[in-house]
Amino acid sequence: MDMAGEYRIKAPRQKVWEGLNDPEILKQAIPGCEELDKVSDDELEAKVRAKIGPVNAKFAGKVTLSNIKAPESYTISGEGRGGAAGFAKGGANVQLDEDGDETVLRYDAKADVGGKLAQIGSRLVQGSAKKIADQFFSNFARIVAGEEAEGESAPEKAGIVDAKAEAPPTPPKKAPSEPTPPEPTPSPPPVSEASSSDSADLAANSSVSNMFSAPPTARGSSVAARDNFMDWGRNPLLWISAIVVVGIILALIV
Amino acid sequence: MNDQGIGARTLRVEDKRFITGRGRYTDDINQPGQAYAVFVRSPHAHARINGVDVQAALDWPGVLAVLTGEDAAADGLGNLPCGWMVRSKDGSDMKMGPHPVLAQGKARYVGDPVAMVIASTHEGAEAAAEMLQIDWEELPAIADVGEAHGGPVVHDDIPNNLIYDWEIGDRAQVDAAFGKAAQIAKVEIVNNRLITNAMEPRAAIGAYEPGTGSSTLYLTSQNPHVHRLVMSAFVNVAPEHKLHVIAPDVGGGFGSKIFIYNEECAVVWASRRLNGVPVKWTSDRSEAFITDAHGRDHISKAELALDNDGNFLALRVNTKANLGAYMSTFSSCVPTYLYATLLAGQYKTPSIYCDVQAYYTNTVPVDANRGAGRPEACYLIETLVDQAARDIGMDPAELRRRNFIPKDAFPYRTPVALIYDTGDYEKTLDEALGLVDYANFAQRRASSEAQGKLRGIGVCCYIEACGIAPSAVVGSLGAGVGLWESAKVRFSHTGKLQVMTGTHTHGQGHETTFAQLVSTKLGVPMDDIEVIHGDTEKTPVGMGTYGSRSLAVGGEAIAKSCDKLIEKGKKIAAHLLEASEGDIEFKNGSFGVRGTDRAKSIGEIVFAAYVPHNYPADLEPGMEEMAFFDPPNFTFPAGTYVCEVEIDQNTGITTVERLVAVDDFGNVVNPMIVEGQVHGGLVHGIGQALYEHAVYDDTGQLVTGSYMDYCMPRADNVPYFEVHTVAGTPCTSNSLGVKGCGEAGAIGAPAAVINAISNAIGTHVDMPATPEKVWRVLQSRQMPLAAE
Repeated sequence: MDMAGEYRIKAPRQKVWEGLNDPEILKQAIPGCEELDKVSDDELEAKVRAKIGPVNAKFAGKVTLSNIKAPESYTISGEGRGGAAGFAKGGANVQLDEDGDETVLRYDAKADVGGKLAQIGSRLVQGSAKKIADQFFSNFARIVAGEEAEGESAPEKAGIVDAKAEAPPTPPKKAPSEPTPPEPTPSPPPVSEASSSDSADLAANSSVSNMFSAPPTARGSSVAARDNFMDWGRNPLLWISAIVVVGIILALIV
Repeated sequence: MNDQGIGARTLRVEDKRFITGRGRYTDDINQPGQAYAVFVRSPHAHARINGVDVQAALDWPGVLAVLTGEDAAADGLGNLPCGWMVRSKDGSDMKMGPHPVLAQGKARYVGDPVAMVIASTHEGAEAAAEMLQIDWEELPAIADVGEAHGGPVVHDDIPNNLIYDWEIGDRAQVDAAFGKAAQIAKVEIVNNRLITNAMEPRAAIGAYEPGTGSSTLYLTSQNPHVHRLVMSAFVNVAPEHKLHVIAPDVGGGFGSKIFIYNEECAVVWASRRLNGVPVKWTSDRSEAFITDAHGRDHISKAELALDNDGNFLALRVNTKANLGAYMSTFSSCVPTYLYATLLAGQYKTPSIYCDVQAYYTNTVPVDANRGAGRPEACYLIETLVDQAARDIGMDPAELRRRNFIPKDAFPYRTPVALIYDTGDYEKTLDEALGLVDYANFAQRRASSEAQGKLRGIGVCCYIEACGIAPSAVVGSLGAGVGLWESAKVRFSHTGKLQVMTGTHTHGQGHETTFAQLVSTKLGVPMDDIEVIHGDTEKTPVGMGTYGSRSLAVGGEAIAKSCDKLIEKGKKIAAHLLEASEGDIEFKNGSFGVRGTDRAKSIGEIVFAAYVPHNYPADLEPGMEEMAFFDPPNFTFPAGTYVCEVEIDQNTGITTVERLVAVDDFGNVVNPMIVEGQVHGGLVHGIGQALYEHAVYDDTGQLVTGSYMDYCMPRADNVPYFEVHTVAGTPCTSNSLGVKGCGEAGAIGAPAAVINAISNAIGTHVDMPATPEKVWRVLQSRQMPLAAE
């Protein structure tokens, strides 16, 4: 399925790019990240533990990076296998745009999940997906913004703004061997500027349309799908794959 | 005379153990030293298996074995067969792809078992299963039967995934009739895919005994002898005489426990490989969603030709049926002989033609689910008749009445191969319309509208063919087995009775119904009768329970066994009473000499038979008789269901306000049990009409794989049912005059509910009629529909 999203990060593009290319920062920012190894310049392997409803799985993710146009954009593609939990695979085009001293990260992604992950259903996966995404971007933004905004109090500069914050971000995991990021401050989770034109389809999951929006193609097909009731089937995937895509994006940016 | 026998609302004797938690189900059974099996299943809808690395799993502590499709092939295990040959229009056999116990080469649906991990603990087996490395090569998948033709090929040598292209009826005659039609009503309908969700998930324990070379299998089965037959004759897990199959208490079947599944074959095979270590497998609920056979999943186009007076001239139907990734045990006959042969319904439509294309897809195999083909036929006819009524502006009940087969026309041969033995369709229609007060519906609609609600009323006149089945008939149609039934009735010295039946009870209450039957036949109290079933070493070879057959076929075998006992008892009584056998009459448990007061109770006769000190010289001792019964015809329960719904225009939520069910089941043994069966069937039917839908995404992933997304009906979704059984037309195919009642509710309810919704909102809405679908229809209209 197709997805697109956008995040505003209060840091200049170069900083964001560098941060996204720093395995240590990524490791701190990715929730549940246990390993992050750069296999080559454009290959990365990560082990991320994710609990999605009843499914507690360690995803071994392999990611490759292409079309690198530092510090603007790249294409990522990856696959994560969660053993009995099933699999998740996908790819995304990621773009960093400058907006004054801030950076807007946009991505459009395709992702598929299979096995138990697909079977479990949207209600359980939704929360997990949004939480993981929010955690990563707030962690990441705090770290990046914090680094560049020395001496200034975090709340103004650090973090990212969200029109519809749900849960306060959790502080990044402190890995003893790594530079401790500035003390976390209650900065809200990422902004979610997504068209809500799918809100009819997603009426049952009103929070969905806020974070991701299906691109026109998906909307078109979901309209066609209404009569055979497929749009209920779409939401779970949309959500499960949120996890994947976010994971991939991060990893990929390395 | 007998206040517990035939006709009495006797409480179910089995309920004491069920209600008090004393039921003994397969998972309650444990064998000394048993190991636990976990199946590693494909997460892909369609993928080539380039290799399975079992080493890491084998090295896991406590692991006894890791078995794959290669091991099964090496041990010569056969494929799981489909037992009913259906031939295409061109006379060619249906195309059956191999169905191995463990996937070989390719996995064809999400849930397809690829490997079996056996360990000393369940947890150990699950952990080791995580270690298994499978080299997948993903392939494009197809889930939607509408796109199966020309889609990715599920079985490499079966083009277009087409299993068969079958037809019934006279096409030329039908086309000619359509040429003369004044009106043609059309519907295009989807019969939504269902997941059965029996309360007890499947389970199996296989135990091989090296000393005797025999195997014992405990499992959740509706037909233990059929399991033994197929597993020995086709899958080769053990010779038939060395395979002891036991189906203890089973918590619901609804069809899904008829079939021979991979797991139950695998545990018997594995126990033999492990030289006698018992191997246990219990499905969890998530596993049940992706391994128990699914039901329905048809797409149909149907046209009804009428003349100017609303008389049906002809019916023309095309159906595409989804059979899933492999052909399950009886899958081929469900969308053909159990479906198209019922398309006459209760009507005298002179000519009918139906052709059916059955397809493979990358989904869970599809097979019989409560009603099996007959709900699909009933839903199609009855929604089409309502469409016709809307088209020509006639009252749907009257349009039905006009086209009924008249009660003096029986036996009636339909254009689609069946011969209805008896029926009185006006009687059930009139009683149902009276009970629901059809005449004054307009008032009830007005009062609903006064509260801003829409109200609709829907009629469904169903018929089903059950009492499955006359062996010669099904044999001529391709069945690989006969569908007779067996029974043995055994007296002991003290006059107590054991009744052994080849059927199986998994909720239907046979232990009560059969005992009532014997109690009345032989004049012995219920408490002296024990009904035994579900064990291939205790019961005579039988064909099991499905297709509402147990009483009409199995019960008749019991009745015939009782008759043999009575005949033998007359000989003994004649000897003891020094009368001629012809003068002995048996009544209420007593053998008497006609016209005298000389009599012997059946207890005295039984004792004489087991202690034959004074006994006829030419007569065998003992009082134990068995009988087989092969019915001459199907039975044809029929009736009228009327549903009234109220719809909230703001939310699209449909509330079933009333459901009146009037059934003609012929004679009834236990009215309370019959009503319970109808209640369950109605809930099943309401579930399909309003809630249940198994949905696959376009990559073949089941996205309604839990109760979060697959909506089962609950007690607060159904009304207080008004169920009535008319003093009906006794069936002529068995001496009891019974027809069967287990499936009727699920067959008749869906069309009654949907017709009520269509009546409320003025247009057909396909199943399940969710609030969203109904809301969209309402939103697409200018203004709420006024009462017609």
